[in-house]
Amino acid sequence: MSAPVSPGLRSGSLPLLVALMTLLAGLSLAGLTGVQILAEGWSSAARNATTIEIPSDTPQLEDRTHTLIQTLHRTAEVTNVRELSPQQVQTLLAPWLGQVSSSGHLPGLSLPVVLIVAHTGTPDLGAVVHEALPEAVVEEDRRWGERLNGLGSSLVACAWLAVSLIAAIAVLSVGMTVRRSVMAQRKAVEIVHFLGAGDLTISSRIAGRAALLSLAGGLTGLLFLSPVITMLARKLAPFSHETGPALPTNTWTDIFASWWATLHVLPRMLLEELGALPLIAACLGWMTAQTVVLVWLRRLP
Amino acid sequence: MIRLLNVSMMPPGVGQPVLRNLTLTVPKGEFRWLLGPSGAGKSSLLRLLTLETRPSAGQMDLLGVSVSQASRSTLRNLRRRIGFVPQDYRLIGEWTVFDNVALPLRLRGASERDTRREAFAVLEWLDVVHLADKRPGTLSGGEQQRAAIARALIGRPELLLADEPTNALEDAQARRLLSTFQELVDMGTTVIVATHNEALVREAPARSIVLRDGTLADPAPQDEPALHRSGTL
Repeated sequence: MSAPVSPGLRSGSLPLLVALMTLLAGLSLAGLTGVQILAEGWSSAARNATTIEIPSDTPQLEDRTHTLIQTLHRTAEVTNVRELSPQQVQTLLAPWLGQVSSSGHLPGLSLPVVLIVAHTGTPDLGAVVHEALPEAVVEEDRRWGERLNGLGSSLVACAWLAVSLIAAIAVLSVGMTVRRSVMAQRKAVEIVHFLGAGDLTISSRIAGRAALLSLAGGLTGLLFLSPVITMLARKLAPFSHETGPALPTNTWTDIFASWWATLHVLPRMLLEELGALPLIAACLGWMTAQTVVLVWLRRLP
Repeated sequence: MIRLLNVSMMPPGVGQPVLRNLTLTVPKGEFRWLLGPSGAGKSSLLRLLTLETRPSAGQMDLLGVSVSQASRSTLRNLRRRIGFVPQDYRLIGEWTVFDNVALPLRLRGASERDTRREAFAVLEWLDVVHLADKRPGTLSGGEQQRAAIARALIGRPELLLADEPTNALEDAQARRLLSTFQELVDMGTTVIVATHNEALVREAPARSIVLRDGTLADPAPQDEPALHRSGTL
């Protein structure tokens, strides 16, 4: 242990406080990642698809539809053209037009032909379709994509706001704890100050202790978070392409390896962010304590 | 050397100054008693000289530094050249006596080996080396006072200030402390001791700074050559 040249930080509650904040921040980050993935998925799916509806009363419907499909296949950036079957169209419209009759047709309604065009980039399909089949209606999913993108961005912004708020509350809590500690040791701090201790000497000792306690709190918070994250990973596992073979769980090492393999279903970025939380907590603790103590010391001559 | 020119001090929230137009000079390597009745301003003057506060008005030079215009870092370095024995000892309760005493040397960046050697030497000289590992709260008043004296003496400060440093000491210890002050003065340290102990002053006559109602009671004599200098100091 180094020789004391200034009082340290007195706080038994700081690690617990930081642990809870880390838990909240971890949950928010997990939520944020989920929302980001969802928003990206929506946006990407909508951005790269166009729906074409051809009314059922179009003359020479079958031939002209076939011609249009051929034209679309030849169009640059179009990767796939799929014609929905009548059953698929019925299923698609059922929520708006009611139950399909037992005969398999919606009563009194002739269904349009629906084409789903997958593409990369932003080809001008409107012009292509209008030239080949003017009766067809082009539903640009890009507009929906933009709306979904907007919604996704709003959700991501909300999640970031939650993370920022948690960080702000953590900073405030650490600041108040440090201030209380300095006030409790006011006499000792004044003694070392009047014996010639530099402001940074005093603040660094308190900040070092705050960083250490915050790191301990952050690691504890991560421990609290692990069951939740493991549960999330297990829920996500069926959707993942990376479901490896089940590992034996005979020893603690096997159990840990199995747990670690489960976690790998989660996005790498989320795991990195969660891993960084204790270090971020320690940095925030150090900076907050330094600032609080240096400001407090300014009142001494 | 210490030089005060028309120095006044008015603590915040107090209607009138506790020190008024104080002008005095104490050359390097001299001893002064700081005398006066309670409330005369002795503690306030010591607070000024230990840089716990700055003058509200006037000019104060301490060990060649103009305190009124000094930056925080200059004041910090100046504080390391001053030893102070406060009346209330001001020891850090959570630390051992050794760590309290070693603090001034550690703040000056002395090696741990030198710090230990000097701290144990001064503790031994003050007869409290056996208390090195104790916490101040477990000590008697006299023991705490000796620990505070040890902290002030370690590293041979250029200016030594003491507020009633003998009030918890036995007579023999008090005399021994006075002889230490004499040794420090001989080595060039300026020493100012505030006391109510008239017997002690009679025993070691020296020039005095006498305060009354926040100002010098008799400003002329203290700048003159040793009027009373007949004792050890």
